[in-house]
Amino acid sequence: MAELGGLSLAIEAGDRASAVRHTSEALAAGVPPQEILDSMTHAMGIIGKRFQDGDIFVPEMLIAARAMKEATTILEPVLVEAGIHPEFTAVIGTVEGDLHDIGKNLVGMMLKGAAIAVVDLGVNVPAERFVEAAREHDARLIGLSALLTTTMPNMRKVVEAIKASDLNTKVMIGGAPTTPEFAEQIGADGFAPDAGSAVDLAKSLLAAG
Amino acid sequence: MPGMFETFGRGEGATRSPETLAKLDRVRKTFRHEEADRVPITDFFWGQFRDRWRSELGLPADADPYYYYDLDYIVTVPNMDPHIRSFETIREDDEEVVVKTGFETTIRKRFDLPMPEQVSWETDTIEKMEAFEFDDPADPRRYFEAGDNQIAGVGDGFERNSPPWVETVRSLHADFPVFGSVTEASEITTRLLGQLNTLMWIGEYPERFGEQLLRIGEFSYAIAKAQIEAADGLLDGLVIWGDVAYRKSLFMGPAYWRRYYKPTVAKIIRLAHEHGLLVMYHGCGNANAIFEDMIEIGLDGYNPLEAKADLDVVTLRERLGHRLTFCGNSDIRVWERGDPDEVRREVLHRLRAAEGGGYVFMSDHSVASDVSGQTYDQIVKLVRQYGTYPLNLPEA
Repeated sequence: MAELGGLSLAIEAGDRASAVRHTSEALAAGVPPQEILDSMTHAMGIIGKRFQDGDIFVPEMLIAARAMKEATTILEPVLVEAGIHPEFTAVIGTVEGDLHDIGKNLVGMMLKGAAIAVVDLGVNVPAERFVEAAREHDARLIGLSALLTTTMPNMRKVVEAIKASDLNTKVMIGGAPTTPEFAEQIGADGFAPDAGSAVDLAKSLLAAG
Repeated sequence: MPGMFETFGRGEGATRSPETLAKLDRVRKTFRHEEADRVPITDFFWGQFRDRWRSELGLPADADPYYYYDLDYIVTVPNMDPHIRSFETIREDDEEVVVKTGFETTIRKRFDLPMPEQVSWETDTIEKMEAFEFDDPADPRRYFEAGDNQIAGVGDGFERNSPPWVETVRSLHADFPVFGSVTEASEITTRLLGQLNTLMWIGEYPERFGEQLLRIGEFSYAIAKAQIEAADGLLDGLVIWGDVAYRKSLFMGPAYWRRYYKPTVAKIIRLAHEHGLLVMYHGCGNANAIFEDMIEIGLDGYNPLEAKADLDVVTLRERLGHRLTFCGNSDIRVWERGDPDEVRREVLHRLRAAEGGGYVFMSDHSVASDVSGQTYDQIVKLVRQYGTYPLNLPEA
């Protein structure tokens, strides 16, 4: 499928114009939308792996994610029409007291690249808002970000609020001051050191149910 | 609402006491990798920490940690905003203030949160960046007049009408070795364009945007040059603010940094050295990939060496030897937990990097409001107790 090979390469290169063109051409050629989506997520999987390996850096990952986002814009109506919806939804946000968003945004882009629906609550999000959003969107996963050592304790509040609810939602955390040990201490289900590994973690948590 | 750079000195004139000269000698020897009388200690303090520290130690309202602990050097910031202008107040109430600054950036500062939020940037396309004109870096208002500036005024605190920078330097000179400072391209674009645009444009227009980074570097260099001249011999060092890394690595590839950021840093270091100034580069995150570059271009000291980014100063000393002075690295998370035994182990561990000089004890970024006054007090006492040369450190 030459069109899809070109699409993958365009996304990997962060070439949004080519990604959109290849997507249009594939749709016009009658390629099933699921195959097109799979090609995109495959490309983002490669990007995530290369990022984790230190082969590419944040700028290259950002433009790849944006290329996929723009290509997805024309694919999405066709997916909806075909009854194809993301299997999982994740709610993400930066915890209360913290206004930093670059890490959280990167994780959001990469999760979308893995065909996970993302509800981004933004920054300075109180614990109860995560619970409400997880319930509202039937999210199976919550991703928490914090940059400041002074705000990371608020991650614990979110974990406690989820555990106190009737939700069966996994919680993963990340951000500069956080560690796997901290994740364990606060009862989170996982820790990801960067946006690339956040996708792997999300998939494993979702697969584990 | 005071912030990190609130300290205005109590001295006057250029005459320094023997104690201040001893501190300068201590700092210079340390940066030359010689053992002075003891390991220098200094830090950056959040305004909210200062309030807490005063309250918890029962100190008067004007107590200042630099004076109280007689810390070994202090860093100052002139007006480095691209445009010299007063903050334009968009909204202000008891809870927050929203202003547009000389970066032509709209920022919301909520008084109950430690850091401000950048809301929007006027320079939001690469075409606008290319058309952006910086005000004269040598404009005397940057150094000799009071006024608003984003670096000093909108951070952990919020302050309008910062005092004239040269007066601040003069006021501190008698009591401390004083560093000026300059923001290099990464710090400028983070404020001027936002971090997302900066990183996105590096990816999308690597060479075209790179030319802008070099152009911004010329502005930074000129700021450094003009402030050294304005200080007229009162500076002892210069800090280059230049965050280019995060927890895992550089934001951008090392080759890109070498092409578009390194030349400016190298030029500023050369300039500072021509004037006999020490240079400390402040770059958060894991910048392992460029430490050898920093050594090559003659950097004296690297700060803050975040433990959060898996950096350990003892390991770095083993790897890099005495070719770079390390300033910082003490894990603020341990300080915040405040367990006295853990704090003691932490301090003793970092001091192991001070054998042979080349280490300034500092936190691995800044002293945040979750650190208790008692804990910081304990830390200074430990550094003074165990940081005397020759070191004789007990097992941690």
